[in-house]
Amino acid sequence: MDATIEVRGLRKRYGPTLAVDALSFTARPGQVTGFVGPNGAGKSTTLRMIMGLDRPDAGSALVGGRPYRSLRTPLCRLGAMLDASAVHPARRARDHLRWLAHAGGLPRRRVEEVIELTGLASAAGRRAGGFSLGMRQRLGIAAALLGDPPALMFDEPVNGLDPEGITWIRGLLRSLAAEGRAVLVSSHLMSELEGGADRLVVIGRGRLIADTSVADLLEAASGGRVELRTAERQEAMTVLARAGATVTAAGPGAVTVAGLPAERIIALLTGEGVAFSGVSEHRASLEEAYMELTRDAVEFRAVAGREAP
Amino acid sequence: MSALHAEWTKLRTLPSTWWLLAALAGITAAAGAAVTGAVDTSACPDPAACREDTAKLALSGVQIGQVAAVVLGVLAVGGEYATGTIAATLAAVPRRGAVLAAKAAVVAAAVAAAGSAGVLASLAAGRGILPGNGFTAANGHPPLSLLDGATARAAAGTVLYLVLVALLSLGAGTAVREPAAAITAVLALLWIVPVLTRLAGDPRWQERLERLAPMTAGLAVQATRDLDRLPIGPWAGMGVLAGYAAAALAAGWILLAARDA
Amino acid sequence: MTAATSYRSTVQAEARDGFGRLLLAEWTKFRTVPRWVLAVGASVALTVLVALLTAAGSASSGTGEGTADPARSGIFDMGHFTYQPLEGDGTVTARVTAQEGGARAKAGLMIRGSAERGTPYAALAVTPGDGVRLQTGYRDGGAGGGPGALPRWLRLTRSGTTVTGYESPDGRAWSRVGSVRLEGLPRSALAGMFVAAPDDVVVERRFGSESISGEPAAATAAFDRVSMVPARPGAAWQDRGTPGGPGGPAEPGAGGSTLSGGTFTLSGYGDIGPNAFADDLTKTILTGVLIGQTAIVAAAVLFVTSEYRRRTLRTTFAASPRRGRVLAAKALVAGLVSLAAGLAASCGAMLLARPMLRSNGVAPPPLWDAAVLRAVLGTAALLGVIAVFAVAVAVIVRRSAPAITIVLLLLLVPQIVATGLPLSAARWLERLTPAAGFAIQQTVARFDRAIGPWAGFGVLCAYTALALAAAAFLLRRRDA
Repeated sequence: MDATIEVRGLRKRYGPTLAVDALSFTARPGQVTGFVGPNGAGKSTTLRMIMGLDRPDAGSALVGGRPYRSLRTPLCRLGAMLDASAVHPARRARDHLRWLAHAGGLPRRRVEEVIELTGLASAAGRRAGGFSLGMRQRLGIAAALLGDPPALMFDEPVNGLDPEGITWIRGLLRSLAAEGRAVLVSSHLMSELEGGADRLVVIGRGRLIADTSVADLLEAASGGRVELRTAERQEAMTVLARAGATVTAAGPGAVTVAGLPAERIIALLTGEGVAFSGVSEHRASLEEAYMELTRDAVEFRAVAGREAP
Repeated sequence: MSALHAEWTKLRTLPSTWWLLAALAGITAAAGAAVTGAVDTSACPDPAACREDTAKLALSGVQIGQVAAVVLGVLAVGGEYATGTIAATLAAVPRRGAVLAAKAAVVAAAVAAAGSAGVLASLAAGRGILPGNGFTAANGHPPLSLLDGATARAAAGTVLYLVLVALLSLGAGTAVREPAAAITAVLALLWIVPVLTRLAGDPRWQERLERLAPMTAGLAVQATRDLDRLPIGPWAGMGVLAGYAAAALAAGWILLAARDA
Repeated sequence: MTAATSYRSTVQAEARDGFGRLLLAEWTKFRTVPRWVLAVGASVALTVLVALLTAAGSASSGTGEGTADPARSGIFDMGHFTYQPLEGDGTVTARVTAQEGGARAKAGLMIRGSAERGTPYAALAVTPGDGVRLQTGYRDGGAGGGPGALPRWLRLTRSGTTVTGYESPDGRAWSRVGSVRLEGLPRSALAGMFVAAPDDVVVERRFGSESISGEPAAATAAFDRVSMVPARPGAAWQDRGTPGGPGGPAEPGAGGSTLSGGTFTLSGYGDIGPNAFADDLTKTILTGVLIGQTAIVAAAVLFVTSEYRRRTLRTTFAASPRRGRVLAAKALVAGLVSLAAGLAASCGAMLLARPMLRSNGVAPPPLWDAAVLRAVLGTAALLGVIAVFAVAVAVIVRRSAPAITIVLLLLLVPQIVATGLPLSAARWLERLTPAAGFAIQQTVARFDRAIGPWAGFGVLCAYTALALAAAAFLLRRRDA
């Protein structure tokens, strides 16, 4: 169980605000776990508590089954990039990695290895103050990989990167997970994780909203809805509503139907003689699913509040 | 005018500004009272022959209180470099000279206000403490009063001294950009020369150093008696300090105009 | 769920957890930021530069004022000594019956190498204020003994190079005061009675500052029952007055001895021992560290605060989560770097100032003298401890501007406000603030010294230890 990051009942309060509350999830080996939530949801706080930088008020965070602060060679257990800009601008990139290797008790050759791995070879002798965002990101990833750890954490790794950089990081994350590492990636945009994550941990206002696989989430969000394209929109809506479906107009020649399977819709429309040009299963995007999820959570809280005065 | 307003808003909305201004007045008054309280006439040949400059004594807390003016002046610009807001500032007011002038104006006004409070409190404390330590009117030490021309000059000059020190720091902070380096340099310039002066064995060198050093020259304005014993006249000394401040501001202005933000 | 085989780190087996690696990491951090290295270099350069300036200034004060008063350069060897030659081992005994000259006036017995100035001596004296004391050397030295009520019997015994002092209230029951080894005491020495008195210190306040001067003081004492073993019948008692000082041959009657009915009455001026008014040339040359330290303080503070500002502290704690060790490594690296810089600065200052002093007719301080060595090495240690103090304050405050201001204020405050303050108040500042550490630079126990060299250094170390403890506590408690 070396390559797991496990969070149990974590809570952290900053003054009057509860940043994280009763949060539990696990990032498993061989998977990219997306850690998603809007800005200020408590993602960075959670990552800092996993690394032992912030002290949780309750609960625990374990890396490979042990608290981070008890690890003797922590860089070989968990690599993390919390903040790519956290480099002294007057220091050369290679020197930054060098002191980190010393501090982590790692062999000196690792510095050149990670420089090679992240494609920094030509920039390693330059001062970090002159680095572009993309290069800082690479330097941060190089630092995370220094100990060749079985578990990795990245806080907003693609934030502000160009498309080329985003593609590179996605590929890197996938290949790291494919080697059997646990990879935890936080983001405030679900779209950034589309096609990149195997599993999603969604939080809002410091609480867990969903802990699910991407496939399950999409299926749930799609909710068996069907998209229908027809020129006779009014007639189609009347027919389907009479059959018990929930019908919403989705454009000039399109309706979304919920509550009836596709075969039944085709049969109904054909029976009533309503012309249509296409019927397709609705496939929600990850972003839509995320919006749906957070909205549901808000509604649930509101209802719960009414029931318990 | 809008630059002035913007700078005032920036200065006013930083909590550290108020801490520093409070420290300026508080440390000046407290240190002045402590020094005044420690001095009495027991070591004088006789109380009348002591020739103690009571106004200068009461105002001596400014030697320590000025650190707040230094930090305030340096952080007015250096803080913007440290946090990166300088880009936004220069985007709003592209004429860099105007930015520096506006900063100088608000820093000077703020330090003048806090400095006046500190100076008045110091004089009030001195007025209360001095007679108890033997510095009475009968001994040739009349109570401190702003109605006395020399005392009024010392008080106003001390406020001006603090303003000029703040402007010197502002110029240094602009020129150096790194607040830590600027504070170290200004504090060293102010405090070290008095130390060196005591080391120089030759009285001629001592006088020369005291005439040229910003702190000793600038504080000559605090003297209210035996002016002929001063190495430099009160207002001439203030001129020396003003020269330092002007040079620092000019350097800051040239570098600010020439450099990429 | 895929039961994926967990990845195992390939470098785990090679990774070493140790304090040495942490030190190496902090050293790498320090040396890879050019401006910090530059600041340390600047501190050395400034210290040496000030030393050269003061050495150059020492000339100007020397010219025009005539030859320096010999009594003011380093030691006092005055007072009045009435003696006989003493060949080899022997004992001198006498009873002090009366004494005048104030609480610190000395009356007693002395064995010394010769009548020349500055020769080795051992003196057993009774003083009204401090009782019986055995004193030797021209710096510090000696041992305390019983009460000083008169009449009092004193006895000084030489055996080889060891001189032992005894005192007795009645001439029968003797108690040992102490003994000293006098290196270089010749076989034929002098033994006899002496009187001496330290200068009266006069403080005068005028024109808003205090001046201090020493006024030679007079002492008179009466001795009887004087005996020498081995006795040399017929040997005459000789007198050694105060060479070059008041009471010397130029002023007959100011000092001397009379013998009437077995009672000797001695009177003399001045003291024997360290000159409390001597210029401390070593300290003067090394005072440049007051300026040099500013750069060291700035570098040490930035070494910490930049980690907060650039948020690299999180990276640091990610690599080594035990924060106390990180603080220890950081403090040690800053301290050692500053120690090395301080060593370069103080040695450089002393060595470069030598030719300049010599060409100005001033004898440079002897480098291998224990007190000078303590000052030179102590200055290096001083800078090291100051850097550790700055690191601790920076951890507590976390921001560079207040941290630098606080540290410099604490280290310089006695220097800044001292001019207007009465000396007694200034001395308390020099005892109680971290600036007490500069006492380690003293090589002369001057009349105006606030605190001893080691005690002063101890005060600074205590402040540093306290600040470090607070820093460690806060670092562990606070979120990074």
